[in-house]
Formats: sequence, C-alpha cells, structure tokens
Amino acid sequence: MSDLRNKADLMDSILKARHAEKYTYTLSEGEKQELNLENGGFKLMRTVFNNSGSVHIFAGDRMGTASGNDVSEEGLEKLADDAMAAAASSPEDPGHDIAPDQGRDVFRQGVWEPDLDRFLERIQEFLDTASRDYPTVKIMTAIGSFDRWHWISRNTNGTEFEGLGGQYDFSVEICASEDDVTTGLDYTGISVKDLDTPFMELGSMKDHMEAIGNSVHARAMEGKFEGTVILKPELAAEMISVMLVNYAGSGVILDGTSLWLNRIGEQVVSEKLTVALNPYDERIISGERGTDDGFRSENVTVLEKGILKTHLLNLYAANKTGRPVTKNTGFDLVVEPGCMSLDEIIASVDRGLLIGGFSGGQPGVNGEFSGVAKNSFLIEHGKITCAVTETMISGNLGEAFGHIRGISSELCCNGSAVVPYIAMDGIVISGK
Amino acid sequence: MLQDIIAGKTALFADGVQTVLRAQENRSRRVVLLKGNLVQNSRSESRGINARVNLQGTYGFASIAEYTSEAADKVIRSATENARFLARHSGRHLDMPSSPETGFVPLNRTIEDTDQKTLIEICQQVDAYVAEKYPDLVSRTVVYTEDSQDRIVYTSDALNGHLVTPRCYIYVMMTAESKSGTPVELFRAFGGFGSFRDQFSHIEDLYPGIDELYRRVKDKAEGIYAEAGYKTVVLGGMMGGMLAHEAVGHTVEADLVYGGSVAGPNLNKTVASELVTMIDYASSVDGVPAPLPVFMDDEGIRGEDALLIENGVLRGYMNDRESAARYNMAPKGNARGWAFSDEPLIRMRNTCILPGTHSVDDLISSVDDGYYLIESGNGQADLTGEFMFGVTCGYEIKHGRLGRALLDTTVSGIAFDMLKTVDMVSDTVQWSSSGFCGKKQRMAVGMGGPHMRCKIMIGGR
Repeated sequence: MSDLRNKADLMDSILKARHAEKYTYTLSEGEKQELNLENGGFKLMRTVFNNSGSVHIFAGDRMGTASGNDVSEEGLEKLADDAMAAAASSPEDPGHDIAPDQGRDVFRQGVWEPDLDRFLERIQEFLDTASRDYPTVKIMTAIGSFDRWHWISRNTNGTEFEGLGGQYDFSVEICASEDDVTTGLDYTGISVKDLDTPFMELGSMKDHMEAIGNSVHARAMEGKFEGTVILKPELAAEMISVMLVNYAGSGVILDGTSLWLNRIGEQVVSEKLTVALNPYDERIISGERGTDDGFRSENVTVLEKGILKTHLLNLYAANKTGRPVTKNTGFDLVVEPGCMSLDEIIASVDRGLLIGGFSGGQPGVNGEFSGVAKNSFLIEHGKITCAVTETMISGNLGEAFGHIRGISSELCCNGSAVVPYIAMDGIVISGK
Repeated sequence: MLQDIIAGKTALFADGVQTVLRAQENRSRRVVLLKGNLVQNSRSESRGINARVNLQGTYGFASIAEYTSEAADKVIRSATENARFLARHSGRHLDMPSSPETGFVPLNRTIEDTDQKTLIEICQQVDAYVAEKYPDLVSRTVVYTEDSQDRIVYTSDALNGHLVTPRCYIYVMMTAESKSGTPVELFRAFGGFGSFRDQFSHIEDLYPGIDELYRRVKDKAEGIYAEAGYKTVVLGGMMGGMLAHEAVGHTVEADLVYGGSVAGPNLNKTVASELVTMIDYASSVDGVPAPLPVFMDDEGIRGEDALLIENGVLRGYMNDRESAARYNMAPKGNARGWAFSDEPLIRMRNTCILPGTHSVDDLISSVDDGYYLIESGNGQADLTGEFMFGVTCGYEIKHGRLGRALLDTTVSGIAFDMLKTVDMVSDTVQWSSSGFCGKKQRMAVGMGGPHMRCKIMIGGR
C-alpha cells in the first residue's frame, strides 16, 4: 500500500519537473487468482499481477492522455512524456477540464484477504449441486476469480481518492443435453464480497439452470405476430443500459443525435419504469466511488416513473453543451420493482415470449433492434407452452420501454445490478 | 520493440511438465474526432511476461506486468506451483501431447511508431474532407486506432520465436437524418496489417470509399424495414466473412466441439453445399500475406492452414495441442492469447470461404425477390450452430435489380442448414481484419468470403 503512495508522490515530482501545471492521474496495482473449469473439471489456475497508470495532462486548452502498465520510475517518466507530447499535439479546446477539488478520501470495499480454500469449496459445492439437481445440464466452462485492487487518483485541483478492495466473481457457461440433443449456450454470473451463501442460491443461477434444462427439446417457431416479450432481469439490464447510452449518453448529446436531447422533465418511457445508477446501494458489490473526470460519484436517478431526470454527461460533453455534468460514470444499475409477480405477468400475456438472452445487431442511436431470442419460451394464453429456437424479435428500444405491460416484484441481485423482469408489448416476433 | 532477455530462462523450466514462457507488449494509439471535436487522444503500452505449465492436462498460468529477468523467474515458479496445486484437485491425467517441431521462428518485421501529432492531423484531414463535402450529415466521427502485439515465446519442447502483429485503421462513421427525423448510421474501416506508413501514406486513396459510404448512408436514410421471414438473399463478401467466422468458425473450435457443439458428430459428413470450401489461413493466402498473418502460436506451434470444410464436407477443427491430441489431428497454430496476462485459447486467424465461379452481377440478377446484404456490424454464434449477425447496410432486390436500401436488421439461421442452401458463389473474395473476436479475451482476427446466394432468416417488421 505504501509503495503505491510513494509511486504517486514520484509521479507528482516527475510531472512538476516537466512544468505540468494541470493534470490528473490514476495509478493502480491489482492481483487476480482465477480458477478455470472445463466440462465440470478444474483445468487451469491463473495468477495475474498487474499494474496500471493513466495520465491526462492539460497544456492550456490542449489535453493529452497516456496509459500503460510500467509503473517503475522509468515507466512513469515515459507516461508523463507521452501525455505531454499528446497534449502538445492536440488542438485547443476549452471543453477539456478536470473536476474541482473533491477533497481526500479512502474507499474500502469488499474483502482484502481471500479465503481461496473456502472459495474452491463453494465452487465444488456448486458443481455437486448442479450435478444432483440438474442432471441434464452441462457446465461447459466456469470461472471463479478473486480480484484485489488498490488505486490512487490525484489531480492538481487538490483531489486525492484512494481505493482498496477485493471481490469474488463466479460465472458459468452452460448447456443441456438429452437424447443426443444439445441446447445452445447460456451464461450467468455473480459477484460477492463474502462466501456465506452457496453460489447456486445467488443471482439468477437457479433460474438459468432450470431454464436451460427445460430447453432441450425446443421448437422452431413458424409465422410472425406482434406480441409481448418478458425480459429476464439480466437481459432487461442489458437493454436498459443500451437505451440509456443511445438516448442519453455523452456522445449523442454532444453531436445532437439523441432522441431525448431536449426532453429533460418529460415522459420518455412508461410511467412504470424507474431507473437509477446507484453505486452506494448495498446490493452493489463494488460500486463506483470516483468518476472518470475526478468527481466523487453520486447516486443518480435517470428515469423516475418514466420521466427523464438527467442525461449522462461527462465533463467534456457538459462543458461543450452547457448542460450539467453527471457525477456518475459507472453503470451500477438499480431498477425499481413492480407490483406484479412474474407468474401474474405471464398469466396476463395472450401470446409472447419469456426471453433469457438476445443475440442481435447492436442497436443504433435510433434504438432499432432485431435479433435472435435465445433461451426463450413461448407463452400462449397465459401459460408457458414450450422452449423455442430459430425465433427472432424486433422493435425499437424507446417504443418498447414506452409500452411496458408489467414489472415484476421479484428482483435479481447479482452483485453488479439489481433488476426485475420487465414485460413489453408490441414486439414483432417471427419464426420461419 | 521487445529485446530478448528471456532466452536463458528455459533452464528454469521444471522437469516432467510442458512450459511456455511468453514476453509480450501490446501497444495502442487512438484518436477520436466527433464532429471535429477531439474527444480522445491517447497512447498506451502494456507490457509483461507470463508462463504456462501443463502437468498432465492441468495447467498453471502466471503473469506479471513487468518485463525483467526477476519477473520471468517469478512467473515460471508461480505457474509451476499453480499447476501442481490444481493437479491435486483436478483429477486430470492426460498424456502430454508430443511436440511436432522445435527451432526458432525469426522476427517477421518491425513495428514503427508514429507521433501523435501526425495521427491527429490525418484524422483532421479526413474529417475536413467529410465536413466540407457532405455538410448535410447530422454527425460524423473519425477514429484512428492502432493495436500491435510484440511477442517473444520460449517453450520446453516446441518452437521458440519472436513475432510482431501491427495493425492500424481509420474508421469513418456518418449519421444522416431519415424522413421521420430519426438518425441512421453507417461506418467503414480503412487500413489493415502494418504500421501507419504502410496503410496511410496517401490519405486521398480513402476518399472514393468515403464517397461510397456517404451514398449508402443517404440511401439508408430513405430506407425501409426488411420484411421479417425466411428469404432468398445475396450475402456480400463482408457478410460471407462474418458467416465464415460466426456461423461456422466458432462451432469448429475444438474446445467448443469438446463442449458439445454441432460439429462434433458431423466430422467427415456433409454440412454445406458442395460449393462451400472453408479454410482458416495462417500466414498467407495463395502466396500473398494473409490479412493478419500468424506464423507461430503461443504454444510454439508453427502456423499452418487449417482445412475446415472441403466441398461441403466437414474435414477438421481448429485445435490447440491438447485438443489436437484428443481428436487425432495435427495442431496448426490456433492457440493464441491477446495480452501478456492472457492464457492461450483456441482462436481463429484468417477464416475464409473460398471463391466460386459466378460474377456478383450474376448473383444479384438471379434473385427475383430478396435482399442484397452488404455490411455487418457484429455477430454471434452458438453451440448448435444457431448464429446471428447484424446487417448495417443492404438493399432489396426486385426482379434482379437493386431497390430501396434497408434499415438496420439482423439475419440468423442454423449454420449447417443454411450452408446447404448456398447455390451460387462469386469469383472474388472480400477480406476484413479490423474487428475483434470475443471469447473470454479479445483477439484480432481476419475474415473473408465471396458473395453467396442462399436462404436465411431476416428480422424486420
């Protein structure tokens, strides 16, 4: 720990010796212990010792960035020289800036010393449970890792943030087979700061295991109809994140192509939807503490009962557009639950899909999407009737989240997001 | 460029295991101009050393973000300890694969650096061309991106070598406004293998491609939704490359075969039309350097072409040393890691469906009612061979002629079903090499294909 602080002091000396008057930098060191499993058995143990340094230098209204992983004295000098050269090459632009003084703070998160024996036991327990309770499911790959980090970020306005922490992550890639028929792949994972709970009980592990096990004899859908899709929580998180970036992110506000450009305070999606980026939510394991621009991170509500409360602007985009900066550059997504159970939502659907994954083209700034519904089940007359394959869905993100049928009271908390099931009407569903 | 300070470290390799020591530097340069605003201006170097140890099928891996003699000692020791620790839990007792070859693969070229000022100026020049010539665009973005690998590999029983893979690209992205006021986008990547000077000495050479990009984004602004369903299409060469990579390539990666992919039970069976032959090229294609040449992989195996499909029959997989032994095939150099901290995985290199005999015009004029799909943004595939790729540029075909442009859509299918519907293949191949493939780690890959007429599911309204 003290070594990194010494390196930060050295970085300041190097930059001052080069007469850099305005700068910000982050130095970090980290360690990863990772266990890799293939087809249910341990295959590889990986240890990674990493360092990194990133420097932004401002020469008047010019800005340059350099980064690397050599944090020796020679490496830090090269970082400083590269960043200064980049800044000198840059055109003048007063939009570039760093956050005003945020004070000094130390952020401790998660666990510092891992219990790798207990971690290995939890992984083996997961494998045993999967084998016992879901005999048709195959754990193709599984990755269990413990990551520990220590970083220091300073700027010339006086801010110094220091972060120390660690977390366990466990993810699986699964399929199921029966009668010589194999399903497609499914993925899920969790992040935790302790090992108190069996992994099978966390996130949506059980749901994924059950769903893939029930997908072996999937049916190719025929025809086309407009119906309801119920997004499982991890997919809902993915879709909401894309919508926020495409409609409210820095890039689309800066170039003026956002469809929510001048709609702060207006209803932009269904009143059922409230979305926040809450890095301090206790269900988020390692939420953001300092933004990329050097602000102390804040909880931010982006959509409240469907009303757009803020764009997601970094400091540069805020300065260029004269709009307020958003003191949150993480994506610690927390979506408010609804008042219907998942079963009640399914019972309300005449025809549609319960969708676990989406494999599609990246939606553009207009929000249009189309792609394959993965790990999905057909709903007919309020009941799940069969698993489907070769089925596509298409629609528009803004319109889809404007036509929300229901949001579940059940939440999936996987350590990095807190999200319910979300049902949306008016989606085109097509088969062969 | 890395200097070789690890040649003598093979003396530290433990007996009774297979060890690979790899030093690596990844370098990146990036400049982004958004509507003329410099929003990114960065240079990065990431350097380190790793060791991987194979103890009867159980692997230990360790890496350190330093390139020193001491770091080499430490990763060898740590990787060996990891392999021994895990071997007590893994229950694996595989025969370690024999080595096909030893020796040293010499440095293939050098990596040249270009100062940031030049990179910014070239982006400004391209941006000015677009801004002045096409002022009606709603937005424009010009990106210079460069990522280069420099690797030194020493093995206990296979090839050693020092190899570099530089590549650089300029992306031009355009946004136009449709009649309804919504934005539509299109981008194109220029560049390829080599350093800045190799690719962009004559920036004016890019202008015809930029002009074509503008025409297409304006067409798209007037575009229509595809009609969802099972359609006859002509896949353009870039789509053919995506098909080779996503729809087929992933299913024949031997680690996915081991996991149960559809390719497992189909070896030596007909999986495609007899017009389809597909190869994962290593370092050259018909005597010309491959888009991203791989001379040796990160297990010390020489890069050789891997025949995957021959006249519609599945002939082989892409392997690492372990899987090659499992399937009684020869490893061809497909085990690659992206960063110094990445263990090698089975990855594609330059995956291509070979050309046929028809002209592109023949293919288009043969379709009475269908679509011509030209550019793709992304793609994914599954164990079952179910694939999808996004279509960012396409046109309808009516009575053998191109019609209105398409808005963004997606195509999908089951690879080995869809490939059997290929009934015409063009006589030219288009390659792309700017993308990354994601599979735990990212990896630079090349992909290529001819135009093909086939039937495919298309998403739409």
